[in-house]
Amino acid sequence: MSDDASASSSTLTKDAPPILEVRDLVKHFPIGSGFSLGRKAAVVKAVDGVSFNLAAGETLGLVGESGCGKSTVARTLLRLEEPTSGTALFRGEDIFAANPAALKNIRLRLQVIFQDPYASLNPRMNVAEIIAEPWVIHPEALPVSERAERVRSLLESVGLRREHAERYPHEFSGGQRQRIGIARAMALEPEVLICDEPVSALDVSVQAQVVNLLMEIQERLGIAYVFIAHDLSVVRHMSHRIAVMYLGRIVETGTEEDVYNNPRHPYTKALLSAEPSLDFSETRAKSSRIILQGEVPSPANPPSGCRFRNRCWKAQEICAGDTPVLDRNEGDHQVACYAPE
Amino acid sequence: MADHPILSVDNLQVEFRTGREIVHAVNGATFSVAPRETAAILGESGSGKSVTAAAIMRLLQSPPAFVTGGSVRFKGQDVLSMPMAEWRRFCGRDIAMVFQDALTSLNPVFSVGWQIAELFRAHGVARGKDARDRAIELLGRVGIPDPALRARDYTHQFSGGMRQRVMIAMAIALSPDLLTADEPTTALDVTVQAQIMELLEDLRRESDMAMILITHDLGVVADVADTVWVMYAGRVVEHGPVSAVLSRPAHAYTLALLNSVPRARDKGRKLEPIAGSPPDLARIPDGCAFHPRCRFATNLCRVEAPPSVAIAPGRAAECHHAGKVFDV
Repeated sequence: MSDDASASSSTLTKDAPPILEVRDLVKHFPIGSGFSLGRKAAVVKAVDGVSFNLAAGETLGLVGESGCGKSTVARTLLRLEEPTSGTALFRGEDIFAANPAALKNIRLRLQVIFQDPYASLNPRMNVAEIIAEPWVIHPEALPVSERAERVRSLLESVGLRREHAERYPHEFSGGQRQRIGIARAMALEPEVLICDEPVSALDVSVQAQVVNLLMEIQERLGIAYVFIAHDLSVVRHMSHRIAVMYLGRIVETGTEEDVYNNPRHPYTKALLSAEPSLDFSETRAKSSRIILQGEVPSPANPPSGCRFRNRCWKAQEICAGDTPVLDRNEGDHQVACYAPE
Repeated sequence: MADHPILSVDNLQVEFRTGREIVHAVNGATFSVAPRETAAILGESGSGKSVTAAAIMRLLQSPPAFVTGGSVRFKGQDVLSMPMAEWRRFCGRDIAMVFQDALTSLNPVFSVGWQIAELFRAHGVARGKDARDRAIELLGRVGIPDPALRARDYTHQFSGGMRQRVMIAMAIALSPDLLTADEPTTALDVTVQAQIMELLEDLRRESDMAMILITHDLGVVADVADTVWVMYAGRVVEHGPVSAVLSRPAHAYTLALLNSVPRARDKGRKLEPIAGSPPDLARIPDGCAFHPRCRFATNLCRVEAPPSVAIAPGRAAECHHAGKVFDV
């Protein structure tokens, strides 16, 4: 293990090896007509060298603004997109190198819930069929005779009623639909659940119900979450560790306390300060707010070196040179910046 | 805030008649906006906040929407009974609106400079090159770099934040006294949201404009608004100065909403969500519309609509248990 030192300094990293180890994940999407005929096709560098570990039973929060590549990370981990390069070891087995049979076996233990509770449930299936579908694909997971009963107990465990099994998705509200999506993901009793913006489409009052449900499930079953969201307060509430992404790279990572209380990357600082605060007791000093100039550049043509440098108030000459990388010697709280705070 | 309100909405009622049922989107909303203030209308989806704004701006399509009661007075004039031609002269000049989705609100086949200049032409303020120059000046004022160049671009050539700036430029072109912003930053990222909110706030201050900010985001309300009007099931259930309402709410719904937001100091604790989901507006519960989800609810709440209880000057809540909630 290369990061023994960091493991001992952290209270959250478990002694056991990580359940998921992602190394140098790259996903480039070609753009253009597809008839480039030998000319070099342009690419969108959606994810450009992302590495992280996930320990059993922990929640890693992946935050960043739209276009930073957080959802692409999720989709490549599930092999819904083929990665351009990199490795992702799930219990030591490379997801990206897995053949169809091995991949099926991995997906038995690696499940997902999506953002849009309207698009992710088949309107022509009733709830029982939706929740039981994973067992159709993995018949060995549960004998047919037990499935009807398990569907109903899953419904109860996500706060719905047994009789909801016969209903169709359109009969449910957004929050209830998201519960159905969670029940489906739980059907195979996965070890890792990838949550891609699971509460973003929900109203505040309902969002809290789903956040509580996810935390309860984790407490009960010890499932590890990769929790992707753009809402910083929800991510903070859910996560043990945080990785902040900007334009396809992780710019800062650490425990929830490190990142939120002591942000070191200028982007993290700006992101946190941009978030409107509800606490009047905290100094409502707007003077301390960092308003960034400009917007996130196109991932098809990111700035050289540090991708944040054209919006950064601390940018120097060195930032245009080599891309800064996360400093692995710095223990658990790592930052990819030449002039961190 | 002793000024006469620039806008007052009294007991506004709007319903949508579909073939099968009647959806009561707004059920007696009452609120007012003082000159130069930022008034936030806070509510979740289906609370009637956007329909209220659309009714004020007379943007509702009828059918299916019908304003069935109440009044809207803008600068002393009755908006809803005014002939449409007269109201059109107010729009843009005295009252303007910024929408959530800038892409569908702007015209894709005209350059943005042309669209902004159209306001000057339509209101007979300026024509030709003069109108164009003013449009360019406005683009600069809302923070678009190289305004002379960008004025010739079309909406698809702008990013989300820049489009929202274009729409704000159009809204403030004729220096209105009241700007209605319907979820102006909801579609934007946090760092861009901060830029846009700061821009709106600067423009409001510079030109002595009042603003109605319609949002579901408690944080944005806490950040920029002076007063807040909390809507639930088509009614304003609580209102008052922002810091007072959000730090010590008097309506059970406001309290529950605040408790359901994750905050740093609650880390590791369970959130307190509001049970159930917002009511079906075709079948609004009797009594207090919030009673099926309310932990303070008693028999009284189930049968009788709560009266407006004054909490402090300029502050009231429609809750049978306002006193109890206030003392939590």
